[in-house]
Amino acid sequence: MESQRVERKEVKKMGKRTIIPFGPQHPVLPEPVHLDLVIEDERVVEAIPSIGYIHRGLEKLVEKKEYTEMVYVIERICGICSFGHGWGYCAAVEGAMDIKVPERAEYLRTIWHELGRMHSHLLWLGLLADGFGFESLFMHCWRIRETVLDIFEETTGGRVIFSVCKVGGLRKDVDAKTLEKMSGLLNGIKKELQELTDVFLEDRSVKNRLCGVGVLSKEEAEELGAVGPMARASGVAQDMRMAGHGKYLELGFEPVVETDGDCYARCKVRLREVFQSIDLINKAIDEIPEGDIAVPVKGNVDGEFITRMEQPRGEAIYYAKGQGTKFLERMRVRTPTNANIPAMVKTLQGCDLADVPMLVLTIDPCISCTER
Amino acid sequence: MAVFKIGKVILRSLFKKPATLMYPIKPREWQERTRGHIEINEADCILCGICAKRCPTLAINVDKAARTWTIERMLCIQCGACAENCPKKCLLMKPDYTSPDVVKVTDTFNIPDAEKKTEKTSAGSGAAPVCDRETCIYCGICAKQCPCNAITVDRKEKTWEVDENVCISCGICVEKCPKNSLKID
Amino acid sequence: MSDKKYMVQEFVAVESATLLEYMKDIKAEGYRLAQICAMKKEGDIELIYSFDKDHLMKNIRVIVPENQEIESISDIYWYAFIYENEMHDLFGVKFRHLALDYGGNFFKVSEPTPWNPKE
Repeated sequence: MESQRVERKEVKKMGKRTIIPFGPQHPVLPEPVHLDLVIEDERVVEAIPSIGYIHRGLEKLVEKKEYTEMVYVIERICGICSFGHGWGYCAAVEGAMDIKVPERAEYLRTIWHELGRMHSHLLWLGLLADGFGFESLFMHCWRIRETVLDIFEETTGGRVIFSVCKVGGLRKDVDAKTLEKMSGLLNGIKKELQELTDVFLEDRSVKNRLCGVGVLSKEEAEELGAVGPMARASGVAQDMRMAGHGKYLELGFEPVVETDGDCYARCKVRLREVFQSIDLINKAIDEIPEGDIAVPVKGNVDGEFITRMEQPRGEAIYYAKGQGTKFLERMRVRTPTNANIPAMVKTLQGCDLADVPMLVLTIDPCISCTER
Repeated sequence: MAVFKIGKVILRSLFKKPATLMYPIKPREWQERTRGHIEINEADCILCGICAKRCPTLAINVDKAARTWTIERMLCIQCGACAENCPKKCLLMKPDYTSPDVVKVTDTFNIPDAEKKTEKTSAGSGAAPVCDRETCIYCGICAKQCPCNAITVDRKEKTWEVDENVCISCGICVEKCPKNSLKID
Repeated sequence: MSDKKYMVQEFVAVESATLLEYMKDIKAEGYRLAQICAMKKEGDIELIYSFDKDHLMKNIRVIVPENQEIESISDIYWYAFIYENEMHDLFGVKFRHLALDYGGNFFKVSEPTPWNPKE
């Protein structure tokens, strides 16, 4: 393909080709991404993405903020996956400085990260329902999500941005009574979500919009480097929680995999992951030990470390390089939407024009993460 | 095939009270740990300036000569670093948030003069730091970092002294010593 | 303690001339490209290519002098165009034979190569 300034004049078939610009502002589009859709009689032939509307240059702030203060900047890259970014940055710097975090801190970090995953998937389910016009389902999903946000406010102080992770451990502790209450609230959520699962997976009108749309086979998913639920719904068993950080392997974790590869399979993967998160949190609350939550940190960062986290949207890579002073030399965050954009471009080829918002939503885009 | 599976949920929510709160009319109940805005207890403040150094957005300004403590409300990100590091614990995080406005709000508080104290009252842990002369290299970092200028170090004469009446036991010298030779009991 | 795969840090230095053969070998072994990171050093730009297989990571380090062109790997890994276009817009790294070349318009920045400013 050549650069987007070249116009296509020749036509191969009898249909006439038009180019429709989609985004960054559109009532159905969830995120500010721009797509140039080349369509031929209601069928999309090619899609050319272009991003860059909210580039804030956050990685460059590493030159001005000390490494202990940089965590506040990295947390604010995205509102939905905020704890994951904070944990990833702290893990990268702790790896470069060879610091070992206490056990209770690892358990609490796992609990908060799984709560973050639940609230992100519930938000996505609501947006998916809104994407095909089912507004009451959207409102019910978000009503369930409010319980999770209340848990966040009670334990960390903020609904979206927590400021609870620091290099060396955590800043706030949670006592046993609050953990018991959390367990009770989560079991209540499980019951309510069971009813909504039937609507998503069995209802005829929902199935008409989701089944068979945007199929990505297993070879294509591996060829295009898809990550997260997008790859897991096509049969690739790839989940960074198996790499050993946090307490996932001790709690007995297995990735959730489906084989169909269409939008329905991706919806099913995310729904099953919410239930899996509830089980993981309940297990962690039973097994959490007593102890400290932080170790004191002194000195400067020297050396480099690269680590990975499983965000709700996929695999995120954090690379930290120190130069012996209190400012880091380079901090690189590669977020999962960045890796899923080629897969989105491939699934858009050959779909109907009315399915385009469905396919853009199915990779769970988070453009503020993509261009930090 | 299944049709209108959401019927049960909708019928039930017809007969329950609404899940939303009539927000401006009914006030919101805050949780205990909610981070809203910072308040200062003026009587306890000793103008050490640690909060201004720890603030990541430089929202706090401490003027020792004029005895004022200023905070720019719109720059504060409610991280809580100032409240955590204050040695006298006079900064508190309150739950209600700064309301949106069309002008940038700056709040200034006047700190009253401390009375002359004859005996040393306890602050922090209550003692002045003790230097281990064997490991000390007389580099002078503790003297530079001290917010009250209580420490005097002479590199050539190899002397190290602390004025116990001025010291507030904040612990910055202990933290910054490169040889870990200072200790506060 | 279960195996901590994320603690394994493998960094290999490779010359830019032999880059393409190395990439073909890696692709045949079944590795997936995870990310490309650029860092500015004195007069050079250092690129780190990260690959992943079975949750184990392998990193390749390549040093490119500032105005020299480097071969693009988008023939072997098509989706590398996202990272290479971003590095071209932000750092000014020149790539040859990019599969999908945006010509500098991928990221809409107000001044060219803002992270590698030319005084």
